[in-house]
Amino acid sequence: MSVQETKITLRKIEFPACAKEALSRISQLICRRGPSLSQMDLALDLMAEFVFCEIDKRGNKLSPLNPIKELQLLDVLFEYFNGNIKEVFKNTVFLSLFSGTTATLRSRILSKLISIAIGVPSKSVLISASALMQQVGDSSMNYNKLAEAIVKDYFVLIPNATQRLSGLPDCAPQFVANFLTAVGEIYYNDKKGDVQFPPRSLLETVVLWVTANSKLCIAAQQNPSALPSGTIVMESTTSIAGLFKWCILAPIYKQDCELYAKLHLGLLNNILDIPQGYQPKAINHVHLAVPIRYIYKYAASLVRKKDEAEKNRYLLEDANLQLSLDRYAQAVQVALSVNCVYGNVGELLNQVSQLPQNKLWSIVIAANQPNK
Amino acid sequence: MVSQQTRFRNTTQQDVLSDLKVFVDGVTKQVKCNPLDLTKTALSILKSLPAARDAVLSYFCSVFDKASENYVCAIEVIFSTEVSTGTIPPLSEYDEAIISEIHSVLCSFVTENAEAWAPIISTWSLELLGEISTKYAGRAHISTGLNETLQLWMNCRATRTLIDITTQCLSCLIHSDTEACINALLDTSVKHSPNFDWVVAHVGSCFPNTVITRVLSCGLKDFCQNKSYEQGCNSPKLKSVVGILGHLASSHCSDIGTALLHLFNSSLIVDTAQDNDAIRLQKKATIPFLLHLSNLSSTLLSTICTNIYHTIPLEVILQLYNFIDDWCKYFGSSEALEDLLVSLILKCEKGASQIINLLLDCIFLEDVSSTDEVQNQIIKMNARDVLGTKSKHNIEIEMCINSSIAEFVLQEIDFSIRNNLSEHHGILNSLMNEIDDIHVMLLNPKTVKSQTAAKIIIFIGHNNPAILIKSAKFLFQNARTDHHLALLVRILSDELIDKALQPYHNKGGYFAAVLDQIFNEYLQELAVLNDNEDDFSQMWYNLLILLRWEKSNKVQMLRSQIITRALQQNLITFTAIFAKSQLDNKTLHTFTEILEILNIPTYNNGHSYSPPLQVVINFTIGIVNYFFVCCEERDEIIRLKGYNCTVEILKRLCAHSNIARILALRELVEIALFSNCNVLFGAHIKRQTPHEYNDKLLLKQNKKLSKTIPLTKHSSVYNGGIIGAGKRKSISFHSLAVDNIANNTTHLIRTIKACCLGPPDSEKETEVLQDNIIQVSLLLVQYISPDVMYNGLPWPEEEFSKVTIERDLFIRRLFSSTPLLWELMSLVAVHRPALCYCSVIIRALTATLMHQWSSMGDQSKSMNTDSYKSLMETTVKVIEVMSLGQLLPPPLSGIRDAISYFNSFEIVAILRDCIWSYMRDHIPSPALFTTDSNGLHWRDPTIARPPEIYTNTLRIIMQRNIKTVGHLYAQMFINIPKDE
Repeated sequence: MSVQETKITLRKIEFPACAKEALSRISQLICRRGPSLSQMDLALDLMAEFVFCEIDKRGNKLSPLNPIKELQLLDVLFEYFNGNIKEVFKNTVFLSLFSGTTATLRSRILSKLISIAIGVPSKSVLISASALMQQVGDSSMNYNKLAEAIVKDYFVLIPNATQRLSGLPDCAPQFVANFLTAVGEIYYNDKKGDVQFPPRSLLETVVLWVTANSKLCIAAQQNPSALPSGTIVMESTTSIAGLFKWCILAPIYKQDCELYAKLHLGLLNNILDIPQGYQPKAINHVHLAVPIRYIYKYAASLVRKKDEAEKNRYLLEDANLQLSLDRYAQAVQVALSVNCVYGNVGELLNQVSQLPQNKLWSIVIAANQPNK
Repeated sequence: MVSQQTRFRNTTQQDVLSDLKVFVDGVTKQVKCNPLDLTKTALSILKSLPAARDAVLSYFCSVFDKASENYVCAIEVIFSTEVSTGTIPPLSEYDEAIISEIHSVLCSFVTENAEAWAPIISTWSLELLGEISTKYAGRAHISTGLNETLQLWMNCRATRTLIDITTQCLSCLIHSDTEACINALLDTSVKHSPNFDWVVAHVGSCFPNTVITRVLSCGLKDFCQNKSYEQGCNSPKLKSVVGILGHLASSHCSDIGTALLHLFNSSLIVDTAQDNDAIRLQKKATIPFLLHLSNLSSTLLSTICTNIYHTIPLEVILQLYNFIDDWCKYFGSSEALEDLLVSLILKCEKGASQIINLLLDCIFLEDVSSTDEVQNQIIKMNARDVLGTKSKHNIEIEMCINSSIAEFVLQEIDFSIRNNLSEHHGILNSLMNEIDDIHVMLLNPKTVKSQTAAKIIIFIGHNNPAILIKSAKFLFQNARTDHHLALLVRILSDELIDKALQPYHNKGGYFAAVLDQIFNEYLQELAVLNDNEDDFSQMWYNLLILLRWEKSNKVQMLRSQIITRALQQNLITFTAIFAKSQLDNKTLHTFTEILEILNIPTYNNGHSYSPPLQVVINFTIGIVNYFFVCCEERDEIIRLKGYNCTVEILKRLCAHSNIARILALRELVEIALFSNCNVLFGAHIKRQTPHEYNDKLLLKQNKKLSKTIPLTKHSSVYNGGIIGAGKRKSISFHSLAVDNIANNTTHLIRTIKACCLGPPDSEKETEVLQDNIIQVSLLLVQYISPDVMYNGLPWPEEEFSKVTIERDLFIRRLFSSTPLLWELMSLVAVHRPALCYCSVIIRALTATLMHQWSSMGDQSKSMNTDSYKSLMETTVKVIEVMSLGQLLPPPLSGIRDAISYFNSFEIVAILRDCIWSYMRDHIPSPALFTTDSNGLHWRDPTIARPPEIYTNTLRIIMQRNIKTVGHLYAQMFINIPKDE
């Protein structure tokens, strides 16, 4: 069937149905070994015209779908991804629908799709989504937006999220792991101006998830997604460093919720459950070093305009700072002890040795001197 | 456990998924389904799948839309079928149930989690309201007025619910993030104006403070996006801001004012440490923004301009200096900014006076510092600032230092008035309402201010004579300097003032109206006995100054004699004040001078003016009063001036009107004799006896002595004093200096004479007319004689005087207590034959003298007693008067010289046999006198020589006393002039 014929056929079908039909045509086109360039092009055209209705038959841009139609489309997509298709094919279609040049355009639909999948919940959609997240990378804007949309949907707008989502890690551990990595990045981050703090319900849920599933943080690394052949597989980042950052920075931002302590414990348990023997890959030293900068800033503000001789005393007496440093030292020590930190550990130790004075840290640094 | 959980999850999964399916199918009409059920499904999806909220809400849109449509259609049916009964169409059950379901769920979202849901829901509900309003605009509307629209939609369940939801969202966010809600409000308003206005009005009045503040800040943010003025003008968001504020202005004017002021003030605080770029930009744009808002909405302009003087004191203007360049850049040029400001000022409906004042202050600021070049430059810039600040201005253009915005404004007004344009009535209305402030400006010592105020009043007065009059009145009453009065003249005579306007023209011009009001108010205040504490003397003095100016003929603008005409128009009230009120002396002098200058009645110069009778009467009474005031005046010069004025005025008045003469004479005589003024002329006043004795009647005293009153001589109390109170106090003499008394008397006589003069411009101008002096004598009789009978000219038998003894004594006492009477008698006597009419008085005096002399008996030896002296003195005076009046011809007239040498028996004999008898037989009447060629009355002594029968007694007595009266005897009886 030629390109034109396909399109003409599809144009005869009304909206939600044509999207459904187009999806099956798309999967036929790309879920094969080595699809040709023209097939890929056709698949992309079909997506734009029949699935997302971004362009009309002459290629002119159309305004975005109205909410109802959008919902119909979501329904179709949902049905498709829950259908009886091989996981690798689903992931292939999913990736081509929501990544690439049109990713930004479609991110709204993507986040809604995932949001609905969480709400339902739908394991197969979430698995595809986690594959996408992993491939796109945890630092991309879309990825953060997606996480923010989900946080808003389930942890801001809905009151009883913790209870509803308690089972999610059982259903889709990879997705939850990637989601945690993303939220770990969003909060306690001053790159976009003011530091933001996670909503309480999110924090509760995270604590629940982490304490109940000791392998959750490395779930994504443990269960690599089924990707189409020829794809360069991206190693996923674990959420450990990001969530540790929350626990470490919480005291100095005066977030004295007891949940942080629980989270800290849960994370430590997670690290201890990381299987040993492999090349360490769970935690990058760069990620682990992120809190240093914030602690410096805080310590500096603490002793500003203070007498030189008095400075040390202020730093030692500040309970928040010391709690923060203690947690940091514990996290690093445990991570080093199970040998799950990769990258330049010496560099990390070098950096932390510049931190304000702390008893635990001096022990940790002393214990891990490379020459020892 | 695991399986349980899985099962649970599966059921949830099933529910959510099937709900979603049902919803999608239902909404897209693929499956027929009950709308209530569908709504419930939608709500449950909303609760479980927040991602679907857009779709759910958009479905609710259609629900509300449908409900609204039903409502509108129902209304239309009602209108088309029957006369409006005001009934609200019933809502279909479904609609009702669905809407209340949605309402309760959405509200619960908002209340439970306001921060998350309120922005979403409020945005949605506002958008929906906008769409509904636009969609059904023009349908089922009785009128398109805001209130009617509000009424219509508030009766609709669907829209009322939406409004309720919206306000709930806003009230939840009132303390945190209203920005989002208000932004949505603005955006919607932009999109759906004007149909959306009712929503804004409603929401705005629920949260006036928040809405106003937020709307302003949103507007400012939007405004900052525009780089230039033209761009800013066309921003739809700004228009919507103006629209919303316009709605709210009606009921929340003060809130808006506060918000604007706050915005303005915060823009002045430049805090480089804390402000980031965006805020700094906003601060810079604030004032152009405010200016622009005012340009778009007159309501806002009014709000801004109200009390601007306090908003932008001069210190603030100095601060504004920093912003000027930015503004000029923004508006393109300083001229553009100026133009805008001028047009704003012209439009403003409130606070115009403050604006003008502020402008003028700035000018003054510049004046002060004009010596210092650098300073000057700064101030100039500041002045421009001022302008910037909401229409304050006084921009000085660099090139022409002296032309200020104020000048522009005034020129504009001038132009529009001259061309009868109606466009600038804003500022004029404002100024009219604030006329009191303008009035204060009029009196400002700074010439620029007062002249500007005068100019403004001229502008207003062009169309509004009432205000012109009010202002002129104010100025006139409060003028303290010549400069003020010059302003008044300028206002009244300006070419812009239509002097021919009726009815003012016929009533003597505007100033006449001013005086009319002032005089009447003054009289009213007097009537209320308000002891007016206000000092009016300056006002009267002002009048005098104006009149002097006019009469000096040096003031071109007064050539039309507006002052004189105005006064003539109001003479009745003016003279009434003069006559009736208790003015202080200074004011009276002023009054008199005014009246003197007025020259009433006027005959010359073609401006002849004959005053009405009332004026004459008031004037006469007033001037007579004034005469007596003058008598009390201590300052010699003023007193003499006053006397002269009085004489001049009375001359004119009496010549003009007989009534005036009669009145003047009567008043003069009466007051001089009987009022408290009589002391001025030497009257003896009784010392005020203590009150308690006033009640002690002689009869009662007599009763005290005995129960019956034995009418025997010795047991009765004569009024020689009250037993127990000591001897009766002798009459105390007034301490007034003899000189003064003489002086006063002289002037009184002179004044009386002045009243009696002949008409001016005739040969008798300086002559006392006989008829007039007769009036005086008749008056004397009237006042002096207590009886109305027996006042005739003839003298009866001497015996008869026993009948009239009481009256005679009364008259006699009057003469002794009021020495002035002698002077008056002399006056009358001199102008023969007027004394004839006083016959009764002389008769009474003579009678008493006879009685007294006969009762004196041998006491004549004690010639040095006071009573003897005064008796002799009186006797001499009486005879002297009679001689002067030629009632006694020689030799009888010589008695006065001889009498002091006789003893009392002889005196009695002379009085009885010579004088009384002669008078009895020669009735003193004008018939005794002949008129000579000059009109003088004269009794020729040679012809009128009395027969001997009347002189024998005298001669014998004189012969008996020849050793002492020899020289007189020769004169009286021997060297008699013979008729040739």
